[in-house]
Amino acid sequence: MRGMLGPTQISQQSGAPTVHPVVNRFVLLRSLMQRVVVFVVLLVLMSLLPRLLPGDTLDVLLDSNVQRGLQNSEIADLRDRLGLAGSLVEQVGRDLARLAHGDLGYSLLHGAPVSHLLADALPWTALLIALATPIFLGVGVTLAAEAGRQPGARADRVITTSMSLLTSIPPFITAVLLFLCFGILWPVLPTGGAEPLFPAETPLLRAQEILRHAFLPSLALALHEVVRYFFVLRGEVAVLASRAFVLNGRSRGISGWRERRDYFGRNLLAVVCARLGQSVASLFTASLFVEVIFSYPGVGALTYHAVLDRDYPLLQGAIAVLALLVLGLTWLLDALTEILTRRG
Amino acid sequence: MRIAMPLSRRVVRFLFIVLVSILLLALAAACDLIPAYQTSAATLQPPAQAHWLGTNDIGQSVLTGLLRAAPVTIGLALATAALALTIAIVMASLAVIYPTWGRALVLHLTDMGEIVPSILLLLLVSAWHQPGAFEIILLTAVLTWHDDVRILRSVLLREISRESITIVRHMGASWPYLLLRHIPQAVMPTLTGIYLQNVVQATMRVAGLAFLGLTDADLLTWGSMLQDAIGYLHTPAWQWLLLPPALCLTGFLMLFQTLDQRQTQRPQSVDGAMS
Repeated sequence: MRGMLGPTQISQQSGAPTVHPVVNRFVLLRSLMQRVVVFVVLLVLMSLLPRLLPGDTLDVLLDSNVQRGLQNSEIADLRDRLGLAGSLVEQVGRDLARLAHGDLGYSLLHGAPVSHLLADALPWTALLIALATPIFLGVGVTLAAEAGRQPGARADRVITTSMSLLTSIPPFITAVLLFLCFGILWPVLPTGGAEPLFPAETPLLRAQEILRHAFLPSLALALHEVVRYFFVLRGEVAVLASRAFVLNGRSRGISGWRERRDYFGRNLLAVVCARLGQSVASLFTASLFVEVIFSYPGVGALTYHAVLDRDYPLLQGAIAVLALLVLGLTWLLDALTEILTRRG
Repeated sequence: MRIAMPLSRRVVRFLFIVLVSILLLALAAACDLIPAYQTSAATLQPPAQAHWLGTNDIGQSVLTGLLRAAPVTIGLALATAALALTIAIVMASLAVIYPTWGRALVLHLTDMGEIVPSILLLLLVSAWHQPGAFEIILLTAVLTWHDDVRILRSVLLREISRESITIVRHMGASWPYLLLRHIPQAVMPTLTGIYLQNVVQATMRVAGLAFLGLTDADLLTWGSMLQDAIGYLHTPAWQWLLLPPALCLTGFLMLFQTLDQRQTQRPQSVDGAMS
């Protein structure tokens, strides 16, 4: 710890933004600590908020038609078993301790442990994101390089104008329009679920079916992200295009594919990486909308229905896992960016 | 700054016009100058003489709905953006006025704000109880102010370190006087730019929340009208249920995006934004 504080204090005192490897490690450590704080606050909130409402899960259960005449002692016993006894602080503390042991609880509505439900749903969301990422990165970088390599040229004007138009359409409307166009008006692609009711026998056919089902949702996800990338990357390319090494390369006759890939593409890597960190959170948000619209069985739709059904154990488990994923991934990408930018 | 001034003033005038017109619309809705948004037996009617934009599944006229939803949708966005900007200005000023603890506190809070997965928090609160207008404004503003802080802080720092400010300080002007008389004019282009961006972001967020059906059911917005339309995509009714609110939202966003882009394209204000 002392070794870490020394150089940081010096660089703060001198006021110069010197890049020192030890300082960077300190920054990463600090951002890790901030994430831990945010995570804990989220956990406490999610355990606290449902309990501030009048009534609890037991009241809902007892309020049904099958209610039997229970003794007060039996009710107290049940309340104790469901983890609803004790003061607010005790209950929240118990919740956190349970989560710390990796026990996510049991969804009474689904009749299954929350961890199973999440384990079933997470791969589908991961599939959507995995399919969408190459699309939006590829399209984003290509369009940005095309538009930014000659700012103000016709290609730039056409691409930038259409991207501006696309920015104005809220992403969930784009997703609904995709759903409408290719699912209903021209029904070429399936509009619900992740695979047919009766999956095909052979693995190859099954993979094909899964891809067909994932195509529209991941396209909707990708469209949402392309817009966010395009403007940042275009600006970056425009700056690169006026740099000496590009001028030099062009005067030596470098153009076309090589110019786009080696001169622009490679130099965009650090920017792309830096944006990826912010994309993790926005991709999860967007996947919630997309999964709801396409009734895709991912973790976003699961969480959404947990909200509608007031299925608090499931909601809490989903939020804990998602928050952990988002915070962890953004931190990893931050670290990666740090390393890439230091390389130059 | 001199080049950017007229445009930012025009933006302010435009915002004022928008505000007045939505207030008039809200007043017209309150005084029943706009027909009541009531249910009728004529459900899912296509556009016709009686209902220019058709009716929805419980016989409410879509056109009336659009008109009544407009002040709510736009008002929510304007108010959210204003609150977020206000919080950000206070925070940025804190960081500038108290360069030691203020700066550390504000930058820490900003970092935290950036990593909070805001959709999870929104879901959590909506599951707790469906937010009404005031809660939506408060929640969205609290979750988005951090976007504006860094840029505001750098602009404020730049402005207070100007020679003109130093000279006026030496002449005995107090900080409150400076904050009222000298700083606002200089930071106006940045403020209007940030505000326009905030409005766009707030519109998208609030519409998204309403689209998911997570806002108060009584709150009629373009987003909640879109949510109603989703159930009728398989029938021809999508043409008059989905398209009108979608076009209204997109048009509104496009208007603000264009304004914002025109402002940032001015070299002066870009310079201000980058430094």
